[in-house]
Amino acid sequence: MRDIADHLFDILENSVKAGATEIRIISRIKDKQFFCKIKDNGSGIMDEDVTDPFVTSRKTRKVGLGLPLLKRAAESTGGFLKIYNTEKGGVILEFKIDITHIDAKPFGNITRTFVDAIYSWPKVSFYISIQKKNNRTLSIFNSKKIREIISYSEMQQKEVRDFIYDSIDHELKKIGIDSQFGMF
Amino acid sequence: MKNLEELKKIRERVRKDLELRTGKHRIKIVVCLGTCGIAAGARETMNTLIDLIAKNDTSDTIVTTTGCAGFCEQEPMIQLYMEDKEPVVYGKVDAKAAEEIFEKHVLKGKIVEKYLFSKGK
Repeated sequence: MRDIADHLFDILENSVKAGATEIRIISRIKDKQFFCKIKDNGSGIMDEDVTDPFVTSRKTRKVGLGLPLLKRAAESTGGFLKIYNTEKGGVILEFKIDITHIDAKPFGNITRTFVDAIYSWPKVSFYISIQKKNNRTLSIFNSKKIREIISYSEMQQKEVRDFIYDSIDHELKKIGIDSQFGMF
Repeated sequence: MKNLEELKKIRERVRKDLELRTGKHRIKIVVCLGTCGIAAGARETMNTLIDLIAKNDTSDTIVTTTGCAGFCEQEPMIQLYMEDKEPVVYGKVDAKAAEEIFEKHVLKGKIVEKYLFSKGK
């Protein structure tokens, strides 16, 4: 994984693999900490420690590296990764990374991650929000609203993809996602 | 979220464009996007392919994704399905390789041996 954007895409794929049809993502940057919370309605996790590389639900191999890698990326900056089942089924995953820490990975392109996810799994509904400095939550993308307007084949078109990219990017920049180093 | 009215305008343009084309997909490119693929840069491969399709106006080609295929050391991997032909799997497809495969295989139908991983089912 080259950057945080790669990690983020990877854990979104976990949700999709677990059969999620709805994924809610909230992110914020506060006091140099990038915090992200992902809630899905997939099959949930077993009691085993999923951040152990040798615990995986996959059948092709006996090791799963996605979560352990992100856990390490977070903890090496003094942050954390938590994952737990919700009462209704599904999973909540939270992680925090000190983005100015010497061991922090670069952000990469978080907007690209979201657009790639929306494009890769058109049947999954994504709800993306940001939390502003005054703790207010602002919705920046809602699959349902988009799908009311455009069909799947229209969404595949470059012009539409670019529109979605620009609208997400514009909002993410408001929480300073493009200014990891040198701003603080 | 950005102005949805604007999106509606884009929709009208895109719809007209789509109506002019025949709807059938002839070629399907599947990008493996498991943990291994992502770590190897498969998202860049996917975006390169999507851009190439738009640039060359090859609307009969679609890009979809799948998970880990079990050959992690070969990532980023892509599978290429062409109508009436055996599926072809390519390994170690970075952005540059994707361009070459697109140009030779997708546009001209020639298999690029350099990145070939397997042929057939």
